[in-house]
Amino acid sequence: MVSMTGRAVGQGLEQGLGKLMNLGIETEIIYSFVIIICSLMIYFRTKDLYKLSSHKGIKYFRQSFLFFALAYFFRSFIKLILFYFDAGEIRTLLPIFGNITLFVFMYFSSMAIFYLIYSVMWKKWESNSIVYLFHLVAFAIAITIILFRNPFIYFLINLLLLVFIVFVFYKSYKQSKKKKSHNLYFIYLLLFIFWIFNVIDILIPNYLRTFQLFIYLISLGIFLSILDKVIRKTG
Amino acid sequence: MVKRGRLEIIKDILYIVQSNQNSIKITPLIRKSNLSSSNFKEYYLELLNKDFIKETVHSNNKSISLTDKGLKFLEKYRTIINFVDEFEL
Repeated sequence: MVSMTGRAVGQGLEQGLGKLMNLGIETEIIYSFVIIICSLMIYFRTKDLYKLSSHKGIKYFRQSFLFFALAYFFRSFIKLILFYFDAGEIRTLLPIFGNITLFVFMYFSSMAIFYLIYSVMWKKWESNSIVYLFHLVAFAIAITIILFRNPFIYFLINLLLLVFIVFVFYKSYKQSKKKKSHNLYFIYLLLFIFWIFNVIDILIPNYLRTFQLFIYLISLGIFLSILDKVIRKTG
Repeated sequence: MVKRGRLEIIKDILYIVQSNQNSIKITPLIRKSNLSSSNFKEYYLELLNKDFIKETVHSNNKSISLTDKGLKFLEKYRTIINFVDEFEL
């Protein structure tokens, strides 16, 4: 009797946790909406500062959040279509349209990451051609994702991106003498890691389902904390 | 002596103009800005192109004064620097 009750409680807990983690479309929409609004607020609140200063760092920082907003828009668009048709993968559902949407999503998300790195590194890497190189690499990543429908390739690309980001930030962190910038590098690193989770969530549906709520909450926290910093600094 | 950054040089030039009752001739401005003439020319043209300063001619004397945009830059200078500093830009 005791073991039956224990099992029943266990099953109940499992179901409850499953329901909690299995997020509905409303949660997806709210999540994307909040992040898109955060990114656009960052973009527009820094407009005046950029117009007055023409500072390249501010320019790349703004562009990064514009690309994040666009990437999240396409991400939620893909999620909406999958929910509407109750499908697992957008390319299986709509081959041409799905591939185009996925391409645009991957391109924008890679550019968002590259621009954020460049906003910190532009003084060290200053060269006009580096932005073109970023566009080229983002294009190559998006094409690779479209051509190879292989989870191993997806992981490899994201792993390489992460290694590149960690390497660049570690070097910059070592050179930075300011104590407060350590906090910023930590936020950026978390942003990149959780952005990669968001990308994997689209590329390999259901793979991270168990941790979806956790990923969404942390991602929201990161974007809100960056927005808070921007609001405090722009007045 | 620490080398001034681009934004600081712009702020210094605008501040010199402002602290001279918003009207200064080009020669004292070059002298007070502590820049070589070629460097000064570069910044001067940038400030004119960005509408931060304007030239006014009074009986063959050219003087420089700040525009509203130039004044706004001076007001926002601290905010810009704090923002750049905060995000390591």
